[in-house]
Amino acid sequence: MRPARRRSDQVTPPRPAVPVRPLRKVLIANRGEIALRIVRACRELGIRSIAVYSDADAQAPHVREADEAVHIGPAPAAESYLRGEHLIAVAKELGADAVHPGYGFLSEREWFARAVRDAGLVWVGPPAEAIAAMGSKIAARTLAISAGTPVVPGTTEPLRDAAEAAAIAERFGYPVLLKAAAGGGGKGMRVVHAPGEIAGALAAAQRESKNAFGDDAVYVEKYIEGPRHVEIQVLADQHGTCIALGERECSVQRRHQKMIEEAPSIAVTAELRKRMGDAAVAAARAAGYVNAGTCEFLLDRHGEFYFLEMNTRIQVEHPVTELVMGIDLVQWQLRIAGGEPLPFTESPAPRGWAIECRITSEDPANGFLPSTGRIEHLHLPSGPGVRWDGGIEAGSVVGLSYDPMLAKLIVFDRTREAAIGRMERALRELVIDGVETSREFHLRVMADPEFRRGEISIQWLEARLPHLLAQRPGEETIRAAAIAAALLADRDRRGRNGRGAARNGSAADASGSAWAQLARREGLRD
Amino acid sequence: MRYLVDLDGQRVEVVLDADGVSVHGEHVAAHLADVEGTTVRLVTIGGVQHRVVARRGAARGQYALWIDGWRLDVEALDERARAIRDLAAASAKASGPAPVVAPMPGLIVRVEVAVGDRVVAGQGVVVMEAMKMENELRAPAAGVVRAVHVEAGAAVEKGTALVEFDDEDAA
Repeated sequence: MRPARRRSDQVTPPRPAVPVRPLRKVLIANRGEIALRIVRACRELGIRSIAVYSDADAQAPHVREADEAVHIGPAPAAESYLRGEHLIAVAKELGADAVHPGYGFLSEREWFARAVRDAGLVWVGPPAEAIAAMGSKIAARTLAISAGTPVVPGTTEPLRDAAEAAAIAERFGYPVLLKAAAGGGGKGMRVVHAPGEIAGALAAAQRESKNAFGDDAVYVEKYIEGPRHVEIQVLADQHGTCIALGERECSVQRRHQKMIEEAPSIAVTAELRKRMGDAAVAAARAAGYVNAGTCEFLLDRHGEFYFLEMNTRIQVEHPVTELVMGIDLVQWQLRIAGGEPLPFTESPAPRGWAIECRITSEDPANGFLPSTGRIEHLHLPSGPGVRWDGGIEAGSVVGLSYDPMLAKLIVFDRTREAAIGRMERALRELVIDGVETSREFHLRVMADPEFRRGEISIQWLEARLPHLLAQRPGEETIRAAAIAAALLADRDRRGRNGRGAARNGSAADASGSAWAQLARREGLRD
Repeated sequence: MRYLVDLDGQRVEVVLDADGVSVHGEHVAAHLADVEGTTVRLVTIGGVQHRVVARRGAARGQYALWIDGWRLDVEALDERARAIRDLAAASAKASGPAPVVAPMPGLIVRVEVAVGDRVVAGQGVVVMEAMKMENELRAPAAGVVRAVHVEAGAAVEKGTALVEFDDEDAA
């Protein structure tokens, strides 16, 4: 159903009225699952969508599902998805009236948000000024402090050298965290436990940050041990309404990369939710925030929380909030950008529990090294309470040009315990044949007693990983696997003999072994 | 047909006959069937179904198996092939620690050892960058660096040998 475009009678705008001009055509400056997510929201709202794609993505699902699609360059992101000026030119040429940046790529680039606006297009996100205020972690801290939002003790100026870093670390006490000002997703971050490690860690953080973001500013802060990562979803319209939509807990992380997220958090009471929500809204208001954004906090064992940063875009893990709040965040991004007011002024209470597992092309048994290949077969879980936000399908080629996240598997149920059971069921249904994935890792986490009790922190996974990876299947699975292997080997042996005899009498096709042919015939990788 | 299946650190003997298999002397009906249009196979053992995805490994009889929510590396060989491979494995063992190879395509950020260096098992020897993350590759066993085949800045393909070792006492 199309949403009502009328302003709700309950809302009295405190600012001069903003005209409601529903978007007609949106260029999606992204790829993969989030591009497809935005295409879907556009179609549901009756907005036309334009996908863009690099050489590597010509066959990608997000390209096919959009109303229009434009090739923008070769596979490297710097020559395609990061070419902001070119993307704007494409948007203008095809008559788009707005640009949605998704997450990653150009989504938190102030200059891009500004350039989109200067080109007379609507930016589906916060104003460039709000991105500037929150875009750098250093600027965001300063702003949060001024808004009365608690922050972790740390520096507000980029480090000059290792000697300065060491002096500050002495003052805070070890361990300390070195963080890239422009960082995100764990890149350019290093924990330092002792003075001897600081010079090497600083050099590594600067190098990673320089490579990933073109900026080597790094600062230092006190490292709080054992905290949970709890973040508050914020939604603000152009009429002065700014509300918190509850929390997500993203404590299950590896090397600062989130692996599993849930909403709500087992560690957050209604009272704490209210306080954290108020703090997030205060920070967002101080930045002049509009549209969807997320304030990330560390929550310590005593219920104290510290503002980390604000992500001025849609988050990867937004679906868990959508499921427990019953609100379509991506639709609301588009509706807010079109000038619509939010129909509520109070934060709703979460109903039920949602969990998200990031399905990545990484091999957990091999240090999470990225795995590449062609998806030979894909079987998706479905049934009650299961959602798949993916950017792959059978035939997709997984390369090294982009992030290894293939899809997100999300479940919803009444309680945390029921949601975990549902996630186990959905993971068991999922088949991805062709690359190594994080599927089995997620199954081990879902079965882990500590995870099931909610005894997690942002260091939990690093400590628990050896135990998780050491888990062995039961006797029945071993027996079934041995029988399956013997049956497969027997069939392969017979197939080989049969084909070998036929080939001996033929001069044709001397290339490739019977083995390779058999593999092709059976659709197996040889 | 008698198969010896190595998986998860154990060896299971599976005897195939016309209508099933015997494992640990116990006979049970067993059947392997393809699921049409997919790479999934259905293995039915005594009426219980297991959905299986298999990918062939480097050598005959080697498979990666996805079954019951687990991923297992298995090697299933008939008796004769098993005996030959066990012999080959025993003779290969004598030729020093395995080299460090690139587990993925990427860029060499740093080489942390030089020819003649002594390394301990698990010691970092090369730092590679892939997916914009730095990954430290470690020595699989103690040894002495025999050869370093790359330098910082080099782009390498998956499987490239980066550093080779001699046994500690060989140097």
